[in-house]
Amino acid sequence: MSLRTILATAAAKAVLAACHLTGRPGSSLPGRAALKVDPQIIASLAAQVRRGIIVTCGTNGKTTTNNLLCDMLEAQGFRVVSNRLGANMMEGVAAALATAASPLATRPPGYRSAPASGGPLGYLDADFACLEVDEASAARVLQYLKPDYMIITGLFRDQLDRYGEIDLTMKALEKAIALAPDMTLVINGDDPLTAFLAQKSGHRFVAFGVSEQTTPEVDFPPAEAVSTPVSTPNSSDEIREGRFCENCGAPLHYDFYHFSQLGVYRCPSCGFKRPAIAYDAARVTMTPQLSFDVLEEDSAPIRISAPMTGFYNVYNILAVYGVLRELDLPTESINEVLRNYKPQFGRGELFYLGRNREQKVLLNLAKNPTGFGQNIAAMLQDRSPKDLIIAINDNAQDGRDISWLWDVDFERLADETVLSITVSGLRALDMQLRLKYAEIASTSAKTVEEAIERRLADGCGNLYVLVNYTALYEAHKYLEGTAK
Amino acid sequence: MKKDESKELQSETSRSDYTINSPEPGPYQLHIVHLYPDLLNLYGDRGNIQCLRMRCKWRGIDARVTECNSGDRLSLASADIVLLGGGSDREQQIVCTRLQKVRPELHDYVEDGGTLLAVCGGYQLLGHYYDTPEGRMEGLSLVDLYTEQGSPRLISDIVLSNETIPELSTFEIVGFENHGGRTYIGDNMPFGKVIHGYGNNGKDASEGVLYRNVIGTYLHGPLLPKNPDVCDYLLQKALDRKYGISLSDFPDLDDFLEIMANRAAVLKHFY
Repeated sequence: MSLRTILATAAAKAVLAACHLTGRPGSSLPGRAALKVDPQIIASLAAQVRRGIIVTCGTNGKTTTNNLLCDMLEAQGFRVVSNRLGANMMEGVAAALATAASPLATRPPGYRSAPASGGPLGYLDADFACLEVDEASAARVLQYLKPDYMIITGLFRDQLDRYGEIDLTMKALEKAIALAPDMTLVINGDDPLTAFLAQKSGHRFVAFGVSEQTTPEVDFPPAEAVSTPVSTPNSSDEIREGRFCENCGAPLHYDFYHFSQLGVYRCPSCGFKRPAIAYDAARVTMTPQLSFDVLEEDSAPIRISAPMTGFYNVYNILAVYGVLRELDLPTESINEVLRNYKPQFGRGELFYLGRNREQKVLLNLAKNPTGFGQNIAAMLQDRSPKDLIIAINDNAQDGRDISWLWDVDFERLADETVLSITVSGLRALDMQLRLKYAEIASTSAKTVEEAIERRLADGCGNLYVLVNYTALYEAHKYLEGTAK
Repeated sequence: MKKDESKELQSETSRSDYTINSPEPGPYQLHIVHLYPDLLNLYGDRGNIQCLRMRCKWRGIDARVTECNSGDRLSLASADIVLLGGGSDREQQIVCTRLQKVRPELHDYVEDGGTLLAVCGGYQLLGHYYDTPEGRMEGLSLVDLYTEQGSPRLISDIVLSNETIPELSTFEIVGFENHGGRTYIGDNMPFGKVIHGYGNNGKDASEGVLYRNVIGTYLHGPLLPKNPDVCDYLLQKALDRKYGISLSDFPDLDDFLEIMANRAAVLKHFY
């Protein structure tokens, strides 16, 4: 262990302590400090991870997938280092590793390989590293750290101004994948973009997916067209990336879609097709909770149940299941882990507020059209009356371009169970305008706190809060504070 | 919650509740044709369609939208407004080969005074070509302009002013741009003068192009909802061509929210 690494971990810890003192999560800043002191910090700490490094990429579902995987591994007694809070750029990865290392501790028991310098400082005591990595940062991170597995949850439109286009996201990931030739990819086979990336890379890959058409409850019927007749006012209007073959440009043929561009597809022209699915979900039901069978060749199906909503969680769970199977680890505990799963920071986080805990508040991150569409569908499956708050910011982390709001099918909110809609955030006006053109009335509040406060005072006791990235912190802080 | 059921909402910010009383559709109809939405659908372009459609509806104009996908046969005989959106480079390449077949139809439509809005990739396709390191994409040559790929991508909020077209001069035109191409429009009239952002090529302070009743522009956002005057400009041109009537013959719309959003986008950069 070099002196630099030791100093870097010490610096990270000091910054983390300072962050905690000032009430910040400290998920990135300590990493920035550590990288300043030792640019190789990620490499030297990652090299100490004993059993495996698993990186999760994909525009939607990274945090849930990564955290579930951590929970599963920890439940089996492994020590896991991870960026659970979802800080997934270079600094976040460095912060996760550096703050987990022990600058002053003695050599932990069970440590196999002796470090280069032979000293007791700067050890990272971890069996596994589970890291979610932002697609645009992946090529930088993977210069320092060579994962054994990379999960790709799927690729949807996301924060377009940062990436340019989905094509650029693909190029960035392609570059990252090439940096770790021995890595196995665990991919969403229902997504043609991801499948193409995996097939093209030449890496070993296994796919998960849903091969049977799911019940109509997944694909929510759109609200009555609120306008003069249009040619195709149905749910296939949804924006889809990659309906054209990545390989040859011909339109893909779909047997059916699940949502967005996910489904069972093949190219009639060049033969590109959905890969063989190693971990396949069947008999998916969404109520009262998410439940499905996992089918696998040569083994009996197991039934998985999770206290979650949202069809997309099938993919998140399948990804975790797939990695465990690839690692040859037991999967029996998955239902128990799912039962105890604590959604991280606004990924379907539930709060009970009020004197008698009679106010139910569900906080959900929705930062791109696919995420929003899925969240709205999940919300409308709850047929009881509800109030809705939507907060949209356009800070750098959110993406400055919010034109994607117009790709979300907000027309669905013209539903009798949605009693009121309150908008907030830096781009509240844009959101309100979007709703106006769906002919849906809304009120606005200056801050998301104010919005929540009002609806707690006069709402129906069933509140949904949909927010994008930076608005999530404000909303979470307020709800957590109120819940105490 | 339907628009008329705002009874339970208190007016927290006084003007944020609105009721829109759409008049009964009158005898006027506009036919909007959305070209290749399966290929060119980036960046909320659907918002432009929605904006055109609703601003017709709220005036009692019967607007019909037809999507012409890449496999469909194109007919512009009954078209009043045509939209050509943006796509990723890959999708644009697919489109540009397909579009060559329908060039004569589009050319006649434009020269006959047909209204056309082309955004980003669609805008580039209006010109003669788009040169990239991978090769040349042939355009439709509907307007005398051309595009070359440059680096870096020009990504920014953008604000334009237009002082030559009275209908467009009341408010600045706001949007978001994200393009690798540098477009050169020669002697054509630009859609606006850049007062914040990059525009056509980051050099000559021009943005977009106005040619006959065609608007070509890099502005996403989407363009029309926060620039209701631009939307009405297109509707006006289409109504004039088809019926010889003026938008002022229809009820005025309450654009409070639109103008607030437009002002907020301008103020962000100048105050």
